[in-house]
Amino acid sequence: MVALAAVLKALTQAVKRDLATLRSIGLNNFFFFGVLLVYSSLAGGRRPLAAIPFLVLIGLVMLLPMSSDPLGKIPASRFSLWPLTGRQRLLLRIASLGLNPVFWLALPLLALLVREPVSAFLLLATIAGSQCISSVSARSLRLSPRMNPLLYLPSLPGRFGGMVRHNLRQIVSVLDFYVALVLSVGASAYRWLSPQPEPRAFLALSMVVALSLSTYTQCFFGLDSGGFSRYRLMPLRGWQILLTKDTAYFLVLLVLVLPIGPGPGLTFGLVSVVLGRYPALAVRTRQYRWRFTSGDGRFGISQMIAGAALGVAEYEFGAWVLAAVVCVYVAALYIAGRYWDEAI
Amino acid sequence: MIHCRNVTKKFRDFTALDDVSFEVPAGISALIGPNGAGKSTLLKILTGLISPDTGEVRIGGLDISSQSIEIRRIIGVVPEDLGLFDSLTIREHLEMTGPIYGLTKPQTRERMNDLLLMLGLDHARDTFLNQCSYGMRKKTALAMAILHAPRVLFLDEPFEGLDPVVSKTVQNLLLDAAKQGATIFLVSHTLSIVEQIAKEIMLIRGGRIVWTSSQDDGRRPLEDLYFELVESQHLEPLRWLHLRQS
Repeated sequence: MVALAAVLKALTQAVKRDLATLRSIGLNNFFFFGVLLVYSSLAGGRRPLAAIPFLVLIGLVMLLPMSSDPLGKIPASRFSLWPLTGRQRLLLRIASLGLNPVFWLALPLLALLVREPVSAFLLLATIAGSQCISSVSARSLRLSPRMNPLLYLPSLPGRFGGMVRHNLRQIVSVLDFYVALVLSVGASAYRWLSPQPEPRAFLALSMVVALSLSTYTQCFFGLDSGGFSRYRLMPLRGWQILLTKDTAYFLVLLVLVLPIGPGPGLTFGLVSVVLGRYPALAVRTRQYRWRFTSGDGRFGISQMIAGAALGVAEYEFGAWVLAAVVCVYVAALYIAGRYWDEAI
Repeated sequence: MIHCRNVTKKFRDFTALDDVSFEVPAGISALIGPNGAGKSTLLKILTGLISPDTGEVRIGGLDISSQSIEIRRIIGVVPEDLGLFDSLTIREHLEMTGPIYGLTKPQTRERMNDLLLMLGLDHARDTFLNQCSYGMRKKTALAMAILHAPRVLFLDEPFEGLDPVVSKTVQNLLLDAAKQGATIFLVSHTLSIVEQIAKEIMLIRGGRIVWTSSQDDGRRPLEDLYFELVESQHLEPLRWLHLRQS
């Protein structure tokens, strides 16, 4: 029992630390946006119904990383080397269920839904589905690394194609991308399936997609960790390195906003990159894969305000606003490139 | 080929390098010393990763403070943290590196295949770096450093984590490159290998170069010299370490 208790204590510590990384959502622009919607509804004396879909979306996207098996945190080789009996391993497996955050969430929700069997069934099915996806994908990748879909993300042509591919992979490994993807797919479905779609809705939707990716611009180097020194050893100017990061970001953003309304979305994205450059270079907050990115609240709010204002301006006054923002972006890229060359 | 004059580097109150001066000619040179002596700091300064507080560094006649891009074109580096990206496979690291140094796609592919075979990485070429062992990561960093046939190689612990066969292969590769005129500056704790392949050896302690092979006519084994000049062994046994009889 002493051995089991020791393992469970270490496992609890590991799960706690892992859950702490989920707090990154607290400094994410999309979360700010949800809070803003709730606040504006309450201030107007209304129920915050408009915010619910966005907050539910955050919750659903977070469900996947939370579903990972707590026992998976112990390296397989270490686990098999420990002198534990079969019974002890079985007990550990059962006890580890209690360390799964999804289990904690499910219990009170099921208690609330005890008189609504359909809702309870749907909740159970969602939880079981996310658990299955999480454990099957983790197991498959461990057994056959070639099944990793990221492996099939092609390299772009040109001198910097490999670097752009690396940056594309980083973008798709944070949860911000999946929120943006769900929003983009939903908005596209609305455009193509609705008999009379409201044209102004696409302005808002395009900017919300760009907003959900905007925190990432504050932490372009947050996932590089050890690889950051490699950038500094490359015979490249600062602006060239930054451009490879920007290219990957704009490619993803363009694909997501193209079916909805590329002008406002791209304008928002350009503004986000310009305003996010300082924290991306000077602060370089470490980020974690399969988590929401976290930035600096001051920069996040300025990204949201300036991005929304110029996005609306682009929609109202035409592409020259976008052209002006591109000019500002180029100037900012030059300045940031000089900063990289001299200070980093 | 490498000129380092009066280089000093402080981190707050700690002096990592104290007025270090030396010149390294073409061929293999090695820097040895205990942990915390300033080896990696010196290597970072020589490769432009950090700037010295005072002093001058020139690589191949180029000044590191004003011609860093030109220097990066002619050097290959295995940095202390290896400088690898978790989201790329071994093959993709090399495919990315070639074009950055001006190699064409066919050139990159040909050299990559040679290096992967030579370093025993061919079977794992499509493995993501976060799934690689330390030895595989080290070999990937080595392959990246060598791919563009640099004039100067800076290697931080190049033999650590390699199996004996690959270690021997890398030694031969370095000796061959040195014969062709390359300059190789390595930092290592593997004294036996250093003694075998390095033409010049420098010993650093407390941020100062305390011994260089070029100024020493004696033929004492490097290990003896190291323990005499740098640190003595900790000989006190662990009282609790006695294997139980079962």
